[in-house]
Amino acid sequence: MQTAKRDIAVSMTGISKRFGPVRALENANLEIARGSILGLVGQNGAGKSTIIKVLAGIIKPDSGSIVINGETVSALTPASVEKLGVHFIHQDRLLVPTATVGEAVFLGHEIGLGPFVSRRAMERRAADLLKRFFGMELPSGTLVKDLTTAQQKVVQITRALAQKASVLVLDEPTAALVKREVDSLFDVLRRLRDDGIAVVFISHYMQEIEKLCDRVTVMRNGTDVGTVDPRQTPIDEIIAMMIARDVGEMFPKRSVELGAPVLEVSNLRLGGSFENIGFNVRAGEIVGLTGLLGSGAKEIVQCLFGLKTADGGQVKVEGRELSLSTPVRAVRDGIAMLPEDRRAHGVALGLSVRENISLASLRRYSRSGMVSRGAENQAVDGLIKELSIKTPHRDALVRELSGGNQQKVAIAKWLSCQSRVYVLDEPTVAVDVGAKVEIYNLLNRLAGEGAAILLLSSDLLELVGVCDRVLVVYRGRLAGSFSGPAMNSDELLAASSGARSNADGVAA
Amino acid sequence: MSASVLHTEVGVSDEKQAAAKSAGRRFGALVVRLGAIAAFAAIMAYFVVFAPGFTSTFNLINVVEQSAILGVLAYGMTSVIIGGGSDVTEGGIDLSIAANMGLCAAVYATLLSMGYGDFLSVVAAIGVGMAVGALNALAVVGLGILPLLATLAVLNVAAGMELTLTQNTVVGASSPLLGVLVSGSFLGISALAWALIVFSAIMIVVVHGTSFGLRLYAVGGHPEAARAAGISVPFYVSFTYVLSGFCAAVASILTVSRLSASTPGSGELLLSVLAAALLGTVFSRRFVPTMGGTLLSVLFIGLLANGFQLLNVSSYWVNGVQGALILLVVAITSFARGSEGSR
Repeated sequence: MQTAKRDIAVSMTGISKRFGPVRALENANLEIARGSILGLVGQNGAGKSTIIKVLAGIIKPDSGSIVINGETVSALTPASVEKLGVHFIHQDRLLVPTATVGEAVFLGHEIGLGPFVSRRAMERRAADLLKRFFGMELPSGTLVKDLTTAQQKVVQITRALAQKASVLVLDEPTAALVKREVDSLFDVLRRLRDDGIAVVFISHYMQEIEKLCDRVTVMRNGTDVGTVDPRQTPIDEIIAMMIARDVGEMFPKRSVELGAPVLEVSNLRLGGSFENIGFNVRAGEIVGLTGLLGSGAKEIVQCLFGLKTADGGQVKVEGRELSLSTPVRAVRDGIAMLPEDRRAHGVALGLSVRENISLASLRRYSRSGMVSRGAENQAVDGLIKELSIKTPHRDALVRELSGGNQQKVAIAKWLSCQSRVYVLDEPTVAVDVGAKVEIYNLLNRLAGEGAAILLLSSDLLELVGVCDRVLVVYRGRLAGSFSGPAMNSDELLAASSGARSNADGVAA
Repeated sequence: MSASVLHTEVGVSDEKQAAAKSAGRRFGALVVRLGAIAAFAAIMAYFVVFAPGFTSTFNLINVVEQSAILGVLAYGMTSVIIGGGSDVTEGGIDLSIAANMGLCAAVYATLLSMGYGDFLSVVAAIGVGMAVGALNALAVVGLGILPLLATLAVLNVAAGMELTLTQNTVVGASSPLLGVLVSGSFLGISALAWALIVFSAIMIVVVHGTSFGLRLYAVGGHPEAARAAGISVPFYVSFTYVLSGFCAAVASILTVSRLSASTPGSGELLLSVLAAALLGTVFSRRFVPTMGGTLLSVLFIGLLANGFQLLNVSSYWVNGVQGALILLVVAITSFARGSEGSR
């Protein structure tokens, strides 16, 4: 990493892109040097994936220029980008499940004679490459769908290497890998860097960035806010660049008198996911729940939603035991839920704001089966105003709103039911900062009115800022309950990763 | 947020679990496949023992000849399912293929009866068949309509045009080409059987031996992955519908030769075509439609109808059995897919 003029492989300048009302990229720049590993970090929705998709030719930018190997290129397509030697390991495993390893590695660049392919040659070459780069041996003719997630990731990387990539972009490549696999992946990436390949490494894991990258570009709100050397810049500083906003300002303060326990969970277990989970959420309390992917935190929330059925244990709301066998039952039992995938479960995109909001509470505006439109409209307008949902009118389709406003509609739906328990699964993912603050305000208000709130989030700063208490799940067990000064992102992180357990006692 | 999370060693046990799961699934798929093949074999064995004359050379050749039309159509359907993916609701399917064949047969027979020669009539029939296929492609790829609905609509268009053209009557036809197809033979094998053999060989080589075929499977198996590999998904999908139309036209010539006429009611073949294309998946290790699998299913369905006939079972039963087979195969594939999704 000489400070002298580096050898630039890809240079993107002034890239902007909007999706309807959402500004995904705004004058973003990215410079990728040969023989080095560039980290790309940013919060969800900061534009990392979008700028990579622009480079991949999957998304057409509204403006900006891209120079690859000294040549200005326009109208990129996935095929033309690959011809230029730029290869992508997408976060989604873009492999055909019914293909063999050999077919998957050479798809689009088949080995054979004229139009005919030689499957045997492809299998053999793929096996050679897998052995050479990863020391991995698979039975010949193994189908992609029979591989583990990590093996599929490795096949994807092999695919790029088979085509002599000069720039290799990896989008969250380690998300599904275990440590040993991560280490061997890093070895491979370092080797590729030393061979002069430009590597871009997108990750949420700051330790990985610090360990692997020569430089790191930080993105925020659709633009790049700086490029630093991660070995000389403390992680905190990088995180501060990613957030920029003063944490205190982002997370409104509040003080609520906590009441009696409203949601009581005891001894909950689900085979293979978690066991012996017990906690309470009191009236007026916001309790955070967090854990790494696969820790079981997500599954706990899914059980409360009725999306998964627990193998045992008790869930009580205001002293009543719930069965929670289906989402319908969960709703009827007074649990208001905000699933992570709001498009799939949270709101009906094809319905209007009014219909969405009153969907769960139509009974309240109905008399003998007929909906009283006047009462409904009044209630809906009240909520639109209260939550400052930005919509042209109450009959606008939810599809036309921005992500944050869609999320607010999903919340409004439950407000109109006056639930006592709110369970939220990553409510601020892919929502812009402004809308985030409004959602935090809303949570505070709900708590202030005596609701019990359980917030599942992987955003540690969010948890610290919003919650009264945070529960950390590690390998299917509660590893700790943090509040007060012990509730900070370092502690939460340490507990999530199993480095530490328990601060002030699990049973609250 | 992104603020740094560490990696864990959840690893080893997970990996083992995944491996066990995958092995379990593979075993399940194997059981289903072997079970289906065993059922086929059992049915055939039953016919061999109880159906008089089932194994006679004459009878078997007869079955192969009868299967030629179904086979050609089933290849068209199979290519559409390969390219569109075998998802039951959103995947590729060409419901118009049998009606298209009826229309092409009507065009072919009408032109012949009006005195146009073989060449022109054949070209016209193939042109019409491919045009109907292109219409399907336009609806599915261009307009983004679900194949199930798009081709259902085109089915009605084609059937309506056939009726308009023939006034729902039988249009008799004879020509030198038809003469050869009816009575010609080479190496003791009739022309119709040759048609099936040659068509099968071409289809198997193109779909299973070329990079085109490999990419076609990729397009159907995971369109996003195909796109990321620089493959034009719309082109491949469109191609399969046009190919399906071409197959319909070729089958129409075979059907006119067999009946010496174009007759209404060709739409009834659709169920058999669909059954053949879907059943073929059980012969594949990957649970995908293959040309070889389709050929085996076509012969199986032909033998099934033939065996019922020899046993004096009403041929109406065959429809019921085919319907049940479709349900079974679709249920099995959905089940297999479901367990894949839960990983």
